[in-house]
Amino acid sequence: MGKKILIVDDSESIREVVSFTLENAGHEVQKAIDGDDALKYLDGAAYDLIITDLHMPNKNGIELIREVRKLDTYKFIPILFLTTESQTTKKKEAKEAGATGWIVKPFVPEKLLAAINKVVR
Amino acid sequence: MEVFKQKFIEEATEQINDLEQALLQLDQNKEDLETIESIFRVMHSLKGGSAMFGFEKIDRFTHILENIYESIRSGEAKVTSDILDLTFQAVDHLRKLLDETPESEKLLEKENNKFIERIQKALDDKAVPEHTSLQDEKTEGKVKTYFVRFVPDEDIMHNGTNPLYLLEDLANLGNILIVPNVDNIPSFEKINPEKTYTSWNIFLSTNAGINAIVDVFIFVDDEARIETHKISDYNLLELEAVRNILKETLHKKPEIKPADIQELIIDLESVYHDKEVEDIQPDTRKKVEHSISSIRVGADKLDNLINWVSELVTIQAQLSLYSRENNNPGLAPIVEEIEKISRRLRDDVFSIRLIPIANMVTRFQRLVRELSNELGKEVLFETKGTETELDKNMIEMLIDPIMHIIRNSLDHGIEINAAGRTAAGKKPKGTITLNSYYSGTNVYIQIIDDGRGLDPQAIKQKAVEKGLIEEDAELTEKEAYDLIFSSGFSTAKEVTNVSGRGVGMDVVKRKIAELRGEVEMTSEKGKGTTVTIKLPLTLSIIDGLLVRIEKTKFVIPLSAVHKIYEFTHTEIEEAINNLFLADEKRVPFIYLRKVFNIEGAPPEIERIVNVEYQDTFMGLTVDEIIGEYQAVLKPLGQMYKGIDIISGATILGDGTVALVLDPNRVIFEFANNENLKV
Repeated sequence: MGKKILIVDDSESIREVVSFTLENAGHEVQKAIDGDDALKYLDGAAYDLIITDLHMPNKNGIELIREVRKLDTYKFIPILFLTTESQTTKKKEAKEAGATGWIVKPFVPEKLLAAINKVVR
Repeated sequence: MEVFKQKFIEEATEQINDLEQALLQLDQNKEDLETIESIFRVMHSLKGGSAMFGFEKIDRFTHILENIYESIRSGEAKVTSDILDLTFQAVDHLRKLLDETPESEKLLEKENNKFIERIQKALDDKAVPEHTSLQDEKTEGKVKTYFVRFVPDEDIMHNGTNPLYLLEDLANLGNILIVPNVDNIPSFEKINPEKTYTSWNIFLSTNAGINAIVDVFIFVDDEARIETHKISDYNLLELEAVRNILKETLHKKPEIKPADIQELIIDLESVYHDKEVEDIQPDTRKKVEHSISSIRVGADKLDNLINWVSELVTIQAQLSLYSRENNNPGLAPIVEEIEKISRRLRDDVFSIRLIPIANMVTRFQRLVRELSNELGKEVLFETKGTETELDKNMIEMLIDPIMHIIRNSLDHGIEINAAGRTAAGKKPKGTITLNSYYSGTNVYIQIIDDGRGLDPQAIKQKAVEKGLIEEDAELTEKEAYDLIFSSGFSTAKEVTNVSGRGVGMDVVKRKIAELRGEVEMTSEKGKGTTVTIKLPLTLSIIDGLLVRIEKTKFVIPLSAVHKIYEFTHTEIEEAINNLFLADEKRVPFIYLRKVFNIEGAPPEIERIVNVEYQDTFMGLTVDEIIGEYQAVLKPLGQMYKGIDIISGATILGDGTVALVLDPNRVIFEFANNENLKV
């Protein structure tokens, strides 16, 4: 069954390719351009999953994750972040902030869906 | 994928431009952490994107480049001019990589490797983290049995993890036996539903290899205790009897040590035989084909489109007029809607072609940076009004002439040594300013330097030597400056390799003339030189205020209108020094009726439209304000070329003609003219 997913990334091409992949897999997707934008979408809505980039202007991914975890509605919601292999310290930081897991860039659609499948069913 | 790729190319182009911009900032302040951070971010997202969309060279390249800035960011390295130079070249290289075609592929590959080598040298053989690819690790092929103990932390669900999904994932890998350990679940009253009390002992027979099992827990390895052991080279779980034995053992001794399990199964193992399993899972990565698709539209098509929109706006104005005159309640809202739509259509169509001047500024900044280094002069490059928009084609065609002018300013204008500047009472660092602004239907671009200025005498002498003028020719300053634009003129005693690149200012003038523009030089000896380029806006529609004097209608560009006031004719007539009171401020006004020699008796009440241009105010008297109006601007033609204060004419909805005023010129022309009183 399709899930309601929020994608947060400042790169339009990444947003598009992620949302295209997810929508094809039957999910409902909302796109946000940075942390601040994401919080606006989260307010009053009920997403099943958040996928966020880490490097973004305004509010970055880690800050976003921290704030999301403070919200009652999103205490247990899975949050995946987009990262590259070279960023082990970031990975740790994001996990400590409350992220559920990560998706390693670059990814092919199958990998993306596999990562999502790890945290929402 | 192709669509996304195109998007990536657009985005990457922008990002590379941003990168260049940030680098220029970094050049000014090498310690600026925020800029370093933004450079890092751009490289990072370029890397991520390029790998996604098959730009393998950019991926490899930015990966290494990113490392330099990573070490700068973390304070391990400092920004040096060498690093900056290298990065600037890298920016150019990135642009090339983005434009890669099958033909240029081989060459770029070579360049890329060379570049990577250079960067690696710059990194001082600092270890670059291994770049991982998308390739999956090889699967092992043979079914083996593993024991997994999964003890999640109590708070594992707080990070959004559902432990049951992990068990499901494990189950998907092969044949599984899961035995939960529920000993730690407290009594019902004490249960906190947010916590996890269960742990699991698992047997798994799979051909996926131990890495696949570890991968299942990849997200939770620091929120759970996970033990994974291979306990058998066989598929132990095939036989129901063996399953039962294992199950029972785990139920009885949930904390059993893996070594003990191993002992237990040694006897069981002999029952099983090897089984070869095919290697499945082909390489899933598809090579993304490289072909760039972009929409290019012929300029004539765009011109046509703009023409039709202009026509539409005229017709729509007629319709609005008709609707107002006939007062048809059904028609009015439709007309209003059409008006709105055609306005948006107009804006959109024009915006296709318009881009802000800021788009070309980066190139000039780099030119100044590189050239001032080359010439050993310290020069600051400043910009004003870069939000001014111009036709895209025009901007493209302007780059070369402006580059040339800046080169000249840097080479000939700015003094060679700072001491000479200080002696003349100027800052040691030279300044070149690019200033742009709108005026009426024109855009002005100025290149201003605070160098040594032009010497009319020297120019004249040179022109005589070159045989451009007679020796006894009498020249005004302006005429002397104009000589610079004649072909075969160069003021530098020796042609330097900077300015003397085979083109002179005559080419600059010709290029600008091709754009229907004009170029002019003004200068003050010792103070500096200003080159002013005047260009027509291709925008042929303006938002205006329609006004009337007797039967003649005029359009005043709305952007210049500040406020409108009402006065009796007597008040205007008796005004001292042609000043009127605009909200407690005295502002001069022009009695347009007189300027345009319009006959007839003025009405009892007249209006003054207060127009503003670059902080100067001026009132224009009219009989009546008719309202806002979208004017399709038509040129007046050669015959009226001398009339500056009128920038064109427009055909009104009822077929009559209205003249469009240029407030800037009006202010300029009449600011000191005494003959315009009532």
